[in-house]
Amino acid sequence: MQHGGFALVDLLLPIPPLAGMTFLLLLFMTTMTSRLNWPRGVVVTLTAIAIFLPLTLIFYQSFLSAPFFMPNKVLSFDAYRFIFDDSDFHTAFFNGFVLASGLALIAVPLGAMLAFLMVRTDLPGRAWIAPLLLVPIFVSPMVMAFGYVVSMGPVGFYTSWVQQLTGVQPWNIYSFTSIVIIAGLTHVPHVYLYSASALKSLGSDVEEAARVAGASPLQVALNVSLPMIMPALAYAGVLVFFLGFEVFGLVLVLGDPEGHLVLATYLYKLTNKLGTPSYHLMAAVAVCLVAVTMPLVMLQRWLLKSANKYVSIKGKGARQKVLPLGRWKWVAFALIAGWLLFTIAIPISGIVLRSFVSNWGVGVSLIDVFTTEHFRDILEQPSLMRGIVNTILIGVVGGALAVMCYTGIALAGHRKQDGVSRFLDYSVLVPRAVPGLLAGLSFLWVFLFVPAALDNLLKGWDNGVALWLSEHLIPQLRALRSTIFSLWLAYSVVWMAYGLRLISTAMLQVGPELEEAARAVGANRGQVTRDVTLPLVKHGLLGAWLMVFLIFEREYSTGVYLLSPGTEVIGAMLVSLWAAGAVDLVAALSLINITLVAIGLGIALRFGVKLHD
Amino acid sequence: MTFSPNKFSIAVAALCAALSINAVAQVPAGYPAEYASIVEAAKKEGKLIVYAATDSKAAEPLIKDFNALYPSIKVEYNDMNSTEIYNRFISEVAAGGATADTLWSSAMDLQIKLIADGYGLTYKTQELAALPAWASMNNTGYGTTFEPAVFVYNKKLVAADEVPTSHAEFVRIVNAKLDKFKDKVTTYDIEKSGVGFMFITQDLSVNDKFWDLAKTLGAVHVRVQSSTGTMLERISSGENILGYNIIGSYALVRAKKDPNIGVVIPKDYTLVMSRVQFISKTAKNPNAAKLWVDYLLSKRGQTVIANDSKLYAIRADVTGETTSSSLNKEIGAGLKPLQVNASMLQYMDQTKRLAFLKQWKEAAGKK
Repeated sequence: MQHGGFALVDLLLPIPPLAGMTFLLLLFMTTMTSRLNWPRGVVVTLTAIAIFLPLTLIFYQSFLSAPFFMPNKVLSFDAYRFIFDDSDFHTAFFNGFVLASGLALIAVPLGAMLAFLMVRTDLPGRAWIAPLLLVPIFVSPMVMAFGYVVSMGPVGFYTSWVQQLTGVQPWNIYSFTSIVIIAGLTHVPHVYLYSASALKSLGSDVEEAARVAGASPLQVALNVSLPMIMPALAYAGVLVFFLGFEVFGLVLVLGDPEGHLVLATYLYKLTNKLGTPSYHLMAAVAVCLVAVTMPLVMLQRWLLKSANKYVSIKGKGARQKVLPLGRWKWVAFALIAGWLLFTIAIPISGIVLRSFVSNWGVGVSLIDVFTTEHFRDILEQPSLMRGIVNTILIGVVGGALAVMCYTGIALAGHRKQDGVSRFLDYSVLVPRAVPGLLAGLSFLWVFLFVPAALDNLLKGWDNGVALWLSEHLIPQLRALRSTIFSLWLAYSVVWMAYGLRLISTAMLQVGPELEEAARAVGANRGQVTRDVTLPLVKHGLLGAWLMVFLIFEREYSTGVYLLSPGTEVIGAMLVSLWAAGAVDLVAALSLINITLVAIGLGIALRFGVKLHD
Repeated sequence: MTFSPNKFSIAVAALCAALSINAVAQVPAGYPAEYASIVEAAKKEGKLIVYAATDSKAAEPLIKDFNALYPSIKVEYNDMNSTEIYNRFISEVAAGGATADTLWSSAMDLQIKLIADGYGLTYKTQELAALPAWASMNNTGYGTTFEPAVFVYNKKLVAADEVPTSHAEFVRIVNAKLDKFKDKVTTYDIEKSGVGFMFITQDLSVNDKFWDLAKTLGAVHVRVQSSTGTMLERISSGENILGYNIIGSYALVRAKKDPNIGVVIPKDYTLVMSRVQFISKTAKNPNAAKLWVDYLLSKRGQTVIANDSKLYAIRADVTGETTSSSLNKEIGAGLKPLQVNASMLQYMDQTKRLAFLKQWKEAAGKK
């Protein structure tokens, strides 16, 4: 097997990935053909391939005894038997559940309230708070965690101050409770974004009515505004629950000293626990994760069965009026300021500080150890510089491309309550349930083995065209792996649920009568999309681009296995450098990352991309 | 395969090419004349792909010097962690696409497994005679460095009489000052770190009081980390004050810049790790890879490894601070190198590995 890949039979029999894939697609096509026009068909097929090819690989791998590309593999349930027997798995599973629930319990109410305050009320300082709210999203959680170690760890700056003042060790940043709280607070912006964009598109007439009837601002928020954005809140709730199960960087850094495990770090541990990387065990854990999270998606869909009752942009213009907070104003402001301090100021001040010193801690005067060497080191290393450029590219250009794709997919499911839409709806959520590390690995497999399989297939046919293709097309396909395209595809698929929610939430709020009106005067489907739906969600799309840009900038685990010369991005390099222990470079590179994104955000805001409007 | 070029190595290559435009295929002193044909073939290949777990920064002087010798060979150096190397390599070989010409990693067990599984190209290095017998395997894999496992401590927070100088001292001092060292001692999480696992199992085989040591670590609630850098960071900051079994080369580099870090090479016995290098059987540039392997093991390459990369030269004829010869003077018979041979694979057996992990976790209080 050392040379020339593996035999075709290996890949197409008995039920391995490609065959499974083909079967799935055929089944899908035959049942749905009647409902597919061709653009919709193309979009749905491509999406299904992009999502299910890597996932089928993982699923298949979980039932093998060795890596799927090894000749000595056999079908077996050993992987499941092993993890179900492993007490670490039980602990990790339980912890993961606690973390995800705790995270959702903290993030959803706070995010919703935050959205209400920012969008609906006369809260002071909204203009400058708005961009700050996004900071926790675009800082890689691993770096955030590292910031907390430096600032609030046992000998952190803030810990030492508090200790000097009070004489006691004020908190333990490594306890599991601390991890849950930090995870919850740093996920507030995710919920905020969904809720805010939903609230934005909602007229404030009902709220005014409630105010006139004597409701306090809190009552308005709880009884009127927030119930009206239930779809957005439910989406956000389920998504942060997903994210809770996938929290990796935070636990990797903060959970190490006391040995707290969640499923994602358990998975990471499996790369070494048995000596050689145990793909089958990792895949089995991922399958378990999907199995746990899918029922939640069903639940969410059940909650949203009648999305129509939330339609709120009607043909007539919806007016929005600011709600005066009165004496609540400063209470609300203090709460938000406190949250910003904890999730942004404290960890980021830690990172900034760490990036300019050679060492720190007990008895170290920071002036003595000041240095800019870490930044000079980055300038000197071409791969790091390339990583910075690639990070910008994948955020700006890749983000725009991803939003285009997401819009296409959203349109394919728009206003069509059929099997195809339901299929898409469920499918896009699946990749998010697979930890980024493994998703990235499965994309590496796709880029490695699909060209190899096609090559074998073409060579098997043995005619001129096939040989020509094998000669010219296959090398191109193989080369894709070490281009930034591979990374872009992985990112886009992993974050599809996310971007798609932003876009389809916006689309759901366009009243169907507007589209029906266009149909009535003779516009065809394409014209309706082009001239009615898209212009109405234009701001939603720009917002989505910004959001996807931020997410792509900070993504860290998915790129790890796709990292090669030419595909370096800051996020993946941070994991790699952290694993290698290059703490200096990690701090400096994080600061550069944060700065880049802040600049991007600044430019976008300057040119009128509004976060809310 | 369109790897984008390493600008640095291009610049060096271009410069050197300009300087030595008329140079003929040079054979290093002491090598047979036939070597010229390898050099010629390597020049035709013009490229070398290295997957390595050594930081680019430490490898840079080596690449620079290699290019001074062979200006027309562009070195594409891929710096990744040792598990990534293994993962990427076996996947790429199975897919039949482009992969590394040579692999250089500190995960000795993974490297030895790859060699034992037949992924390596048999090539008897010209420098074999200069290597210790334990440092080569099947004329395929070679140990290239000689890095001791050391104790690291925080100089401000650990008094001179509290610094252990041997494993026995370590147990005695920590037990005598349990209050001081509680929650403040750190070592590798051996479930996550391959190097940490190798060191501990080696400890078990050479230290007959090993379980006392493990219990001591349990008694102080040893804090575990998955990488050397994070341990050094925490020892420097004072969050932890004493580190056990840390890779000496990294600790020493940090200690040079960081006045908080102190390093002790244990006197009773010292474990030694050696980065293993082998050529892939599927290498596209096997001749360039042969030149690289020979260069790394040559006296010239080893001198760079010792003086510039600070990774401790394995050759006995290289002298200076970070070399095996200086360690030999200091520790002598106490040096216990991890062998580059199949004996490293005993813990690859799942049952044996898990049994040991369980026992260790119970003793070290990680359960």
